[in-house]
Amino acid sequence: MSILTLLFYAIALLIVVATAMAVTRRNMVHAVLYLVLSFFGTAMLFYLLGAPFLAALEIIIYAGAIMVLFLFLIMMIRLKTLPGMFFPVGQLLPAILISAGFLVVSSVMVGRNPAGWAPMPAAQASPLAFGVYLFQTHWLAVEIASMLLLVALVGAYVLGRRVRGPSADAREEAP
Amino acid sequence: MNWILLTPELTVLLAAALFLVLACLKPDPRRDYQLAVTMAAFAVAAATACATMSGDLFNHVYRVDLFSQVFKALLAIGFFLVIFLCDDFQGVAPSHHGEGYFLLAVCTLSMMMLASAVHLLAIVLALELSSYSLYILVFLRQEHRWGMITGLRYFLVGASASAIMLFGLAIIYGVTGAVHIDMLIQQLPAMMGHPMAVTGLLLTLAGFFFKLAVFPFHFWAPEAYQGAPNQVAAFIAAVSKVAAVAILLRMISMAQGNSDQLARGLIAMAVISMTVGNLAAIAQRDFKRLMAFSSVAHAGYLLLGMLCMTPAGYGAAMFYGAAVLIMKYTCFMVMTRVADDGRNLQIDELAGLHRRSPLLALALMMALFSLAGIPPTIGFVGKLMIFVAAMQKGYLVLVLVAMANVVVSLYYYLLVLKAAYLDEPAQVLPSISLTMPARLVAVAMIALIVGLGFYPTTLLDLVQAAVLRLP
Repeated sequence: MSILTLLFYAIALLIVVATAMAVTRRNMVHAVLYLVLSFFGTAMLFYLLGAPFLAALEIIIYAGAIMVLFLFLIMMIRLKTLPGMFFPVGQLLPAILISAGFLVVSSVMVGRNPAGWAPMPAAQASPLAFGVYLFQTHWLAVEIASMLLLVALVGAYVLGRRVRGPSADAREEAP
Repeated sequence: MNWILLTPELTVLLAAALFLVLACLKPDPRRDYQLAVTMAAFAVAAATACATMSGDLFNHVYRVDLFSQVFKALLAIGFFLVIFLCDDFQGVAPSHHGEGYFLLAVCTLSMMMLASAVHLLAIVLALELSSYSLYILVFLRQEHRWGMITGLRYFLVGASASAIMLFGLAIIYGVTGAVHIDMLIQQLPAMMGHPMAVTGLLLTLAGFFFKLAVFPFHFWAPEAYQGAPNQVAAFIAAVSKVAAVAILLRMISMAQGNSDQLARGLIAMAVISMTVGNLAAIAQRDFKRLMAFSSVAHAGYLLLGMLCMTPAGYGAAMFYGAAVLIMKYTCFMVMTRVADDGRNLQIDELAGLHRRSPLLALALMMALFSLAGIPPTIGFVGKLMIFVAAMQKGYLVLVLVAMANVVVSLYYYLLVLKAAYLDEPAQVLPSISLTMPARLVAVAMIALIVGLGFYPTTLLDLVQAAVLRLP
């Protein structure tokens, strides 16, 4: 067993534990912090598999930007922790059924004879090559995505103004 | 890169940029409306001027040909007509008119891109862009109890449809390893016996069925129409359907007609859409809800043309897409003019319309006759072409089901007409005054509905030439 394999299993264990903690915590802030930990683990996994750029993106965007936004939201809204079961029974039952089905299917797939399988060739790209490819062959898609972000921004602005309540709108229209 | 090919898109983009700036300035509804109408007129001019151009752009991701250009011209005309209807833009707070025009322009732009994109990545992003701008447009409704809940529900259904579509695209990519339509056309037809390929294609179509409001994805339609400002409802009902027809034609034509499994799936959806839409529409009292269920039924007729997978069927579906644009727009135009304070119109409130405004009553009658498929209207020609295409493929039972549905639909369209022409209002209401341009548009709509019913040849030749560009 090489050192890389050992590292892989250690990180995988870390991710599983951190994610399990994240979904079971009652305190939202704790849950988000565990999720950040899990993202860090995923990033390390990407690095180990030879994708340093993806690892950096995972930390910068998911752990850094999105999760910090979540933290801000939770701290500002101050959600009350509800007593009782986290899921109502009506939702728990279908969830258990679906995950049991998933377990059966995946164990059948794992148990199949692996003869004739070919490993996928590893695709490795430097950040430079990736960027050149993206902006040369798919720059229309990049532009559309930027428009999408602009629309989201306008939407957030409109939504944010509306949430202040009807009195705020009425005051705007008065003059 | 030949930027001239992109003129229609660039014009609409310019309009969007202009209104983004204007939305940040002090709101002035009069100025905003005049600018919007001018920009939309430019867009129509650009789209018609570029109608015969062709070429590839953006590293073969974007294809400009007769097929896409005809759809772009239709979209631009629809955009202009809807903007024209916004002269008082009731239903949206005056401070948000700028955002409203901005979102309408962005949505039109993304639908134009949808008609031209031939790379799955660009298609998905353009579809998302059009959906998101529509979610926010629904949300702009001034009365909170409508906009808030329906906007959210519309968003949730749309996001689920997008997720299903992405799953289907992943399966298609997994089976073929291709993301460009040209590559898929070479690989998919041979694989259509493969259950994975059929499942992938059907799941992919789900995202577009959501736009067209086909049966399992129609649940958003009545609520979104009811909750949206009237002009936005007109945009969703008339213009966004044209874009859905464009992209569905492109996707379904990829199978090149040799898939019985796909056709069977589409037949089931078409039949259920027609039946559910027409039966549910009978019980409606709200004009917009009625129109929403009638949209579901019309999605079924459109699908009937597409599932023939022959050039005749594609041409019929494209013709009917243009017909839906004209008919639905006319209905919503009448509704917006009658409900001039932006409220939701009940069908009873149409009582006495023929005395309050004979022109609007006539426009409504023509549009409803056309929706029901009574000759000589554009709706009759469209339905006839679809049924002929289906008969050529031997779908006799399907045509009979569709005809039975047409009879059912006639019942509730006539109920609306009875309210407008025969019922007497409870109290005498003042007549509806229309400006000169509004009269002109109403007359033009009547002329189009009847004129294209008598002389459909020009438009038919155009759409048949356009669908030949499909593989």
